[in-house]
Amino acid sequence: MSAPVEVVLSADSAGQLFNCAVFDPHSGSEFLSYRGGNTSSRSLTVLNGEYILGAQLGKNFINVWEIQRKDQLQQKIVCPGIVTCLSASPDGLYVLAGIAEAIYLWEMSTGNLLAILSRHYQDVSCIRFTDDSSHFVSGGKDNLALIWNLSSVVQLDSSRTPEPRHILSRHSLPITDIHCGLMGPQARVATASLDQTVKVWEISSGEMLLSVLFDVGIMSVTLDPCEYFLFCGGSDGNIFQVSLCSTSLSRDKTFQTDSDGNQVFKGHRNLVTCLSVSMDGTLLLSGSNDETVRMWDVQSKQCIWSINHKGPVTNAAIIPAPANMFLADSHPAVPLPRFSRHLNPSEQGDTTGSGGVCLRLGANTQVPEGTYLEKADELYSLMCAVTDKSVFGDGENTKVRVSELEEEVKTLKKINKDLYEFSTQLLTKPN
Amino acid sequence: MKSKKQKRQGDFQKVQLKVGKKKPKADNATNVNFKSKAIHLPEQLKHADSGPTTNRQLDIKDLLSKLHHVNSNIKQGALVGLRELLSGQPTLIELHASAVLSEVAALFTDKDGSVRAAAVRLLRFIAQCIPPERVAPFFPLLSAHLTCAMTHISEAIQEDALRVLDVLLEHYPGLLSQRHTVLLTNFLELISQKRKSGTGQDKAGKGAFSLTISTNRKVTAQQWRLTVLLRLGSFLQAVVEERPLEEGVISRIGLGMWAGEKGSVTPVDVSWEEHAFGKGKIQVFENSGAVPSPHSAYRLRPDSKAGGGMNKELCSAETVQGFAGTLVPLLLEIWVEAAGGDSVQTDSDHLLSAEAMALMFQILTILQLLRRLTPQRDQQDILDAWFRNSYLTDFKHHFMKNFPYGLREVARHKKKADGKRIRQQVAAGTVAGTNVEPLALNVTLCQVMVTLSLRGQDHIEAEDADWLGPIRVFIRETLSNGGKLSLKHLAALLEVVWRMIVTQRSRVVTDDLLQAVFVQYQQRNLAVSVRTLLLRFFSRLYIQEQQNHPHIARSRILACWLASLPVQLVQLGSRNPQLSAQLLETIHPAAARGNKDLLQSLQKNACSIYDPQEGCVVVLPVESQKRLVQILHFLPAFPAELLACLSQVCNTGRVSASLATMLIRSVHLRSPLSGCSSSLQDVPVKDVDYLSFFFTTLTGFSSEMLRALQDTDEDGLLPSSTLSPLSVFATTLEQFLHHWDIVEEVCHCLNTLGSRAQCFDVIQNAINKNLCGLVVVPDCVCAAILRCVPRLLDVNFLPSDTLLHFLSDCCLSMLNLLLQLEQSARKRDAVWEACFAALSTVPRLLRLVLQSFHVFDLCEEELPVLAQILSLLLQHTQLRNHMMANASLLQHIIQDLTHFYGGETREQWLTDLLYCYSVTLSGHRTNMGMRDIY
Repeated sequence: MSAPVEVVLSADSAGQLFNCAVFDPHSGSEFLSYRGGNTSSRSLTVLNGEYILGAQLGKNFINVWEIQRKDQLQQKIVCPGIVTCLSASPDGLYVLAGIAEAIYLWEMSTGNLLAILSRHYQDVSCIRFTDDSSHFVSGGKDNLALIWNLSSVVQLDSSRTPEPRHILSRHSLPITDIHCGLMGPQARVATASLDQTVKVWEISSGEMLLSVLFDVGIMSVTLDPCEYFLFCGGSDGNIFQVSLCSTSLSRDKTFQTDSDGNQVFKGHRNLVTCLSVSMDGTLLLSGSNDETVRMWDVQSKQCIWSINHKGPVTNAAIIPAPANMFLADSHPAVPLPRFSRHLNPSEQGDTTGSGGVCLRLGANTQVPEGTYLEKADELYSLMCAVTDKSVFGDGENTKVRVSELEEEVKTLKKINKDLYEFSTQLLTKPN
Repeated sequence: MKSKKQKRQGDFQKVQLKVGKKKPKADNATNVNFKSKAIHLPEQLKHADSGPTTNRQLDIKDLLSKLHHVNSNIKQGALVGLRELLSGQPTLIELHASAVLSEVAALFTDKDGSVRAAAVRLLRFIAQCIPPERVAPFFPLLSAHLTCAMTHISEAIQEDALRVLDVLLEHYPGLLSQRHTVLLTNFLELISQKRKSGTGQDKAGKGAFSLTISTNRKVTAQQWRLTVLLRLGSFLQAVVEERPLEEGVISRIGLGMWAGEKGSVTPVDVSWEEHAFGKGKIQVFENSGAVPSPHSAYRLRPDSKAGGGMNKELCSAETVQGFAGTLVPLLLEIWVEAAGGDSVQTDSDHLLSAEAMALMFQILTILQLLRRLTPQRDQQDILDAWFRNSYLTDFKHHFMKNFPYGLREVARHKKKADGKRIRQQVAAGTVAGTNVEPLALNVTLCQVMVTLSLRGQDHIEAEDADWLGPIRVFIRETLSNGGKLSLKHLAALLEVVWRMIVTQRSRVVTDDLLQAVFVQYQQRNLAVSVRTLLLRFFSRLYIQEQQNHPHIARSRILACWLASLPVQLVQLGSRNPQLSAQLLETIHPAAARGNKDLLQSLQKNACSIYDPQEGCVVVLPVESQKRLVQILHFLPAFPAELLACLSQVCNTGRVSASLATMLIRSVHLRSPLSGCSSSLQDVPVKDVDYLSFFFTTLTGFSSEMLRALQDTDEDGLLPSSTLSPLSVFATTLEQFLHHWDIVEEVCHCLNTLGSRAQCFDVIQNAINKNLCGLVVVPDCVCAAILRCVPRLLDVNFLPSDTLLHFLSDCCLSMLNLLLQLEQSARKRDAVWEACFAALSTVPRLLRLVLQSFHVFDLCEEELPVLAQILSLLLQHTQLRNHMMANASLLQHIIQDLTHFYGGETREQWLTDLLYCYSVTLSGHRTNMGMRDIY
């Protein structure tokens, strides 16, 4: 069996069978499971494709597994308080944890605690990175969502307290879930709240673009990769699909009635706590407090399969399958460092390894990808090139080519004529 | 030939004239024996299409041509005529705007005063009629003439030019402010002259201009300067106000400071229902989302389009500095002269004459406006720093020397001189500016000085203490001496307080100042606008600045103020919904942030806020109600009394059903039973209270109300009978439907609890204890129970007999009621739905219902009713199987019925029943038969 491209990672709060498990997105069959403890909601994350991190429910530590050694708990990271949410940056360099009303930022290469951000007034409920790890968004029970610039948080001198880039304060009840779209700093963020609304914001300006008012509180939200649809998991077990593109643009849909039925995924009986869409936007994964995880087909809104858990589902996500997951004898490239618990290790008398910097030479790293700006420029020039060539052509080259083609047409015509004459002769001769 | 000659001779006969005889009259002599009179033409004949004219029958062309006349009387007459003509025919203005404006503007510099006055009057009239966008093409011309008049060598013309300026400022501030480059220098030249660069006398500190004093004006130099400064002030005001506001810059001065903000992107707002039914089409992303919106705070690549426009010139700090560099020394000189001229006469320096005070007030206003010329925040900071470096010592020396200032009483015996002066002032047009209160002067002085204090640098704080001290004392005394302040002054004072609190960063200062503001706040009988202003001040102080400034967050006064909010909310009741909304706007975020003082106070007052009779939650408008319900989510604890209140709030129908469901949900979410709140340490809602809340909400009537209901004999009461074992109290349709919506939500919440069996057990006990044994039951309670029980019932759980009997009573009563209901389809549907769900889901219930049909106890009128109920049950296909299970019982009843009725003629109802029965049975039999065959 070839290794799957994407896998489903889910966890529940009971943790009887396993802490978290990996499933096949198409059949729902179980691949692997990781044992020990249980994981609180929105705190299961994959670090760098090598480790799985999950915050223990109600306790002040984080469970860590190496991704290929499924049965064995690798280590426990002890934190200053109960971890309410956890997120690792997509480039694998930083880990963020919400502990009570503060956000802790660790650097993965050294394990140093880089910053403690306490701008929330109540517990942080959710943290999400943008896909290029340049920004992150945190949402709290104080109705606020904050957009932070990672570099400004990391690089500030200690005299100044880091400030969020934007404060999104239009929700009127605690924020339950956040989804960050693609496109780095140009991305859009969707926030769900108990105040029965889902709002879509722009990271770059901090402006609200859209607010959708529902008749139930919304517990989870996600966007498909193209941002055609917004999926919102309600507290009554329904999943609502909001189409973000005006349907008037697509001519095929004019005769289709937009009735209530075809925009709601019905099946869960209790709060929908987590949602996730696959890479190609055809599959929707949902986890609920009714102890099931369901996979839906987005187009037909049918449930493809469902898995029963032993407790309310706390985390469920479709993730690209890490390379190491199915290779039992692989090893992480970097050992996990000890996470420091204080901001300045030298001040606390913790001198071990304070002077050393862990360096990883680029043996198995790829060429760094271009920034979004470069990519966009490249794409633009490519598109321009296509249109330029087809419309205008470029000078000499095309002239030669045109004359060649004309020559060819001429010869073809001649052959055709010969053929015609030959066949007419042939046809007229017997008479 | 001969005859010809003769003929010729005859033609030319010579007339012989003789002496003494009269000369014969010539043949062609004219008879002049007639009399003539002159024809007088007072007016010329006009063609019909020549257009309207004045009383003197002059049309607009004549009038305009007369403006070029040499004689000033004629010019003036033409101007008056134009005004008359145009006021009679307003349409003419549009037609001839270009000609009229250019001709009138040319007269600004006329050498005759009366002509200029008439021209200004005409201009004022025209300005009232033409909107700015229509004048825009002619404005360069107008302003050129204005400039010409302002720089005219004749002083009288200069004075009149200011009046023209007044008119233009009043009607076209936007257009005028675009011409600032020229006009600002003109202003300077009106009161000063350029120093000669060669003289070498000017010191480095002074600008390139020096004040001029001209002796041949009708007014004193001070009054003249005042008139000029007044205009300069209003001109700068226009420049500041007409500038398109940049994003993210809130005008931080005056009343605007505590007004609401507005975003620059209008978000799309839809509700799910609209969207789901295809009404709200959403188009969120412009350019299909590839380009970020132009409001983005940072750019990924530099913007190629540089925003052009004349206003750019005055936006940057450098240009303002350049202008201020020449203006401020002049202003200081004027200040010194104004202050010094007075202090010679009396020894009390801080008392000023009204005129000097007006002058000083204008100077300060202009200084303030100069600072506001730069819209960007960072530029403003640069400018502040520049002012501080260049002029702090001067300002300190001159302004703060005699602070605070007071008005000197003018002795009465100078009456005559005063009268004269006033007349002069009227001539100079300065009266408007002269009556300045000393308070306004002092407050403005504070505003100007406070902007010079810098943020958060310790060594500077110490330096500033000597001049900030008096300001602080002044503010504290003004605010806390119990007097009522006008809105404008208060706003200015609050601004000063804000700035001092933010810059000084000391807890003592903060508490000191806030205490004074709080005293003002606690006054009774404040005007609503003042009260709102103070409220906004505090709330913004709390919401915006608290995070960055720990000294504000720790302020005792702020905590005290927050704690007082819920009490105020209760006291305010429904008297002023706007103010309540304002209060809630602060309470909500404060509660969300978990502010301890506020939450404590909120908890204490919760029962009165959420009182079902006159609490805020029922008397305020919907928006505020919604906020109040949302605030519930942050309450630290829900005691039983509060839950009782809330339950009644849900059921009295004074909040809408959707809000009530929101309320129920937030109680549900706060309970540990719902499985949402993970923290186990603090339990906001105890399980017992939670369940009793839900049960009370489910029934919709408290136990007292039910008990009271047992003894009443109202109209709505349907008496009990054999077919309706319970006496049903019919509620109004509105109440029934409201309750129906709530029951739906309650069922949903109870459904999601962890253990269904236990939950049902609790509900069953509650029903047995509270409801069984009642004689009079409201119909909505019956419906609610019938609806709730089947939804909560677990398959493995057997309901108790008491419950079943009660249910069957309910069911029967409801079926009976159903037949009497005609008025509302919705209510019928709801009742039937409830009965049907109960009968089909709860085992043994149908049998119990059928068993309770004692045909022999019925009187004759009730027989049709029973038959109708039965046929209703039989007709329903989903119930058919259940009916078949009780076929023998059914058959028995029907036999009894036919037997007992025994009439000769078969009534319609009986025929129907028998038909239904036979259809049901036969259907069943064929089914059976089919099954047998296969």
